[in-house]
Amino acid sequence: MSLIKIALAGEGGQGVQSIAEILAEAAYNENKQTIYIPNFGLEQRGGVSIAFIQFSDKRIGAPKFNKADVVVALSERAVERTAIYSDENTLFVYDSGFKAEAAEALPKEAKKIIGIAAIDTANHELHPRVFNIIIMGAVIGLTNVVSFEGAKAALEHKLAYKFEKNPDLRELNFKALEIGKNMAEESLKEGVAK
Amino acid sequence: MGGARKFMAKIMEEPRKAFITGNEAVTWGALAAGAEIMFGYPITPQNEVMHYWTRLAPQYGKGFLQTEDELSAGFTVCGAVQGGKKAFTATAGPGNVLMQEPFGMAEAMRLPLFAVIQQRGGPSSGTVVYSQQEVTLTTFGGNGEGHRIVYSTASHQEIYDYTIKGFNTAWKYRFPTFLLGDGYQAKMREPLEMYNPEDRGIKMIETYPLIGLPGHIGDNREPQHLCNIYSLEEELYEVVMKVSAEYEKISPEIVEYEEKECENADIIILTHGVVSRAADDAVKALRAQGIKAGYFRPITLRPFPQKQLREAIAKSGAKKLLIAESAYGQLDRLTKQEIYGETIKIENLFMPGVGIIDYDIINKIKSIL
Repeated sequence: MSLIKIALAGEGGQGVQSIAEILAEAAYNENKQTIYIPNFGLEQRGGVSIAFIQFSDKRIGAPKFNKADVVVALSERAVERTAIYSDENTLFVYDSGFKAEAAEALPKEAKKIIGIAAIDTANHELHPRVFNIIIMGAVIGLTNVVSFEGAKAALEHKLAYKFEKNPDLRELNFKALEIGKNMAEESLKEGVAK
Repeated sequence: MGGARKFMAKIMEEPRKAFITGNEAVTWGALAAGAEIMFGYPITPQNEVMHYWTRLAPQYGKGFLQTEDELSAGFTVCGAVQGGKKAFTATAGPGNVLMQEPFGMAEAMRLPLFAVIQQRGGPSSGTVVYSQQEVTLTTFGGNGEGHRIVYSTASHQEIYDYTIKGFNTAWKYRFPTFLLGDGYQAKMREPLEMYNPEDRGIKMIETYPLIGLPGHIGDNREPQHLCNIYSLEEELYEVVMKVSAEYEKISPEIVEYEEKECENADIIILTHGVVSRAADDAVKALRAQGIKAGYFRPITLRPFPQKQLREAIAKSGAKKLLIAESAYGQLDRLTKQEIYGETIKIENLFMPGVGIIDYDIINKIKSIL
């Protein structure tokens, strides 16, 4: 696996940093080189939260990067904030729920711009709380940075105490992960128009 | 948190891999080094060193005191080490500025103080994020002569390694010793291997009290002369000259650096800390494109590997030296004073307070070759 650079961005509370950490740990457990760094400036207090993650077979250099292979922006503000990380090689993913409003802010340069109905699916088919897990699944579907089984194991590890209290949560999370993965794979096949 | 205790026990038995932040690596390194107490005052991006230490410390019978400010945190370390305690602190930015007063006392009294600096943006409160703008402050801050030892790390493995080493350096040579990291290293997660120092042949130095020693001065022991103020100019002069000579004498033993591809290079890239990761990648990419670039990285910024850098320049035949740093010329000034007389042309890539990636260095090299 050559170097894959991912920027995940959302509003505070959307769980962007949580899934970045789980993805990074999953990759680490699969013996891949991984670096994960959150943005933690003052903007974090009430601003857009961004996670920068890199995966590779080889030692990874600088912890941040200028352009990402995949950007996932989960709010309108996140779209505006992360457009700078996109260039002609970037898959730029956003939640299609705010498509109309965010259209102007979408990056001018991208390999492909992909709208995913993660918020809508979470709210109507699963549970709003697993919205971020759908996104985590989507990242795996787009990049294969970790195996599906590895991602499930990392989720299990991270949420063990919650799953213990309520075993239904396990199935809910795994389902969200799978739905996200499938959505991303479909969107790549369909080639959702830029 | 019983898990943490078990984990430490496992590390002590056999090396363990972990995927953690740099601040956590400092804490685990300090525990492995046998640190007994931390004094600190919160400041981003160093907070988690304190945070993890306060979680782990009680399980190991270790101490922690949050003082009223950084001045006090630094001075309490000065006090604890005089009592023979393996003590340390961690700070950043404006906290590093405030700590210069106690750091100066540690220089004056030759105290084995160990401090971790996680650089943030400056001047003033700057940013809470990242920079390499505390190089001048950490190497030559205070109203003294920079009699300090400063290790600039570039990975979590090094943070762990040099935290362990830093305590030993401080106690062996009795010069204040610093681990100079930054906000990126503090906050990012990456893999490292943690181990029991003894398994690597590292013998941790037994600490010893500097005051309250047995015996009577002039009778059966010499006085300690732990002094930070003198009545006469000549007295101070004598002490500073003596300390300077000692510092210069031990410097060759302490100096550390990393050099790659300098045997035959048209240009040498000089970086330190986390930026050297980008320089390493840049050299590989440039070499692949047929551009002969070399890599030189001082690991100790004080004392500086000036002899080794001069040798690298000489053997490479390089015409240019590119100094790249996340500051506006702090490494540049330090380097120039150390290699005074060299005629190699020095170019700069100054990006104060922001990260530097291989792409930035490659572009700069192409624009100057």
